Amino acid sequence: MTNTLLDWCFKRSIWVYHVNAGSCNGCDIEILDVLTPYYDVERFGIRLVHTPRHADALLVTGPVTRQVRERLLRLYEATPDPKLVVAVGSCATCGGIWHDSYATLGGLSNVLPVNIYIPGCPPRPEAILYGVAEALGLVPKKVAGQIFVEA
Amino acid sequence: MFKHVISELKEALVCLEAGQVTLKYPYAPHSPAANFRGKVEVDVAHCIGCGACANACPATLIDIKDAGEGRTLFFELGRCTFCAACRDACPQKAITLSSQFETATPNIADLQIRLVLKLVHCRECGQVVNTRRAVDLVREQLGRDFGGLAWLDLCPDCRRRMSLQDPDLVLEVMA
Repeated sequence: MTNTLLDWCFKRSIWVYHVNAGSCNGCDIEILDVLTPYYDVERFGIRLVHTPRHADALLVTGPVTRQVRERLLRLYEATPDPKLVVAVGSCATCGGIWHDSYATLGGLSNVLPVNIYIPGCPPRPEAILYGVAEALGLVPKKVAGQIFVEA
Repeated sequence: MFKHVISELKEALVCLEAGQVTLKYPYAPHSPAANFRGKVEVDVAHCIGCGACANACPATLIDIKDAGEGRTLFFELGRCTFCAACRDACPQKAITLSSQFETATPNIADLQIRLVLKLVHCRECGQVVNTRRAVDLVREQLGRDFGGLAWLDLCPDCRRRMSLQDPDLVLEVMA
């Protein structure tokens, strides 16, 4: 009973903490866009909070630079369970154009367990909305990998 | 005080007039602009595995490896910046950027494309010449035999060696 209630609550009011892990600010601006009345992510109960201790989800942008790694781990530990980790943008997804740079760790998956990847450079605000909704299980996944072997 | 209330009322009226501005997106479908660049799609029927896309890609997300009988083209679309340099570089127009933007996924393998194309090996030394599709394309575009079609399955080094051994060609150069 308590668990179902908790699940219900969790699906309806995700509080996110936004972490910039070496992003160029492109994705951060799109995240800001999602919070504006035009896209209005607060109608789903999603809102930005100022401390990871209040957050249900970490919204991470950027390829994770060496400098930010330790802070990111501390933020992750400060977030109470259960938590979601959302990688926003191509950099957080796979390292982007910095994937082989000495200064970055080549993507968020090398540092934290990621629940959902939202690729894009930057992702459209609609894509971020879709990704968050997908993480909550409200919409289905639309992409699939492709393998072709010539006969 | 009174002035303040008046201004608040005015603001409320303005809001009423504006109506609903919020996008209906997750509940209603949304289609991006006509020239929007979304997820990369590869037409497997037309790709010849030349590697022009891999040279052009700034994120170097296209990895090309020759192993055994096949050339593997591996697209790691997670780091795609949607610049469309691959589309512009492709001589076969096999790469298109779709309008798909809902690419969020919990599994990174959903953002990968793997193509394996058959290779042609040099009949003299066994080195890789090109993919079978590329060799076939050259044969098709040459149209008629210039006497060189038999060399299509030779690597550049062996072609040079063969041309030195060809008396007709040597005479032609000397004449």
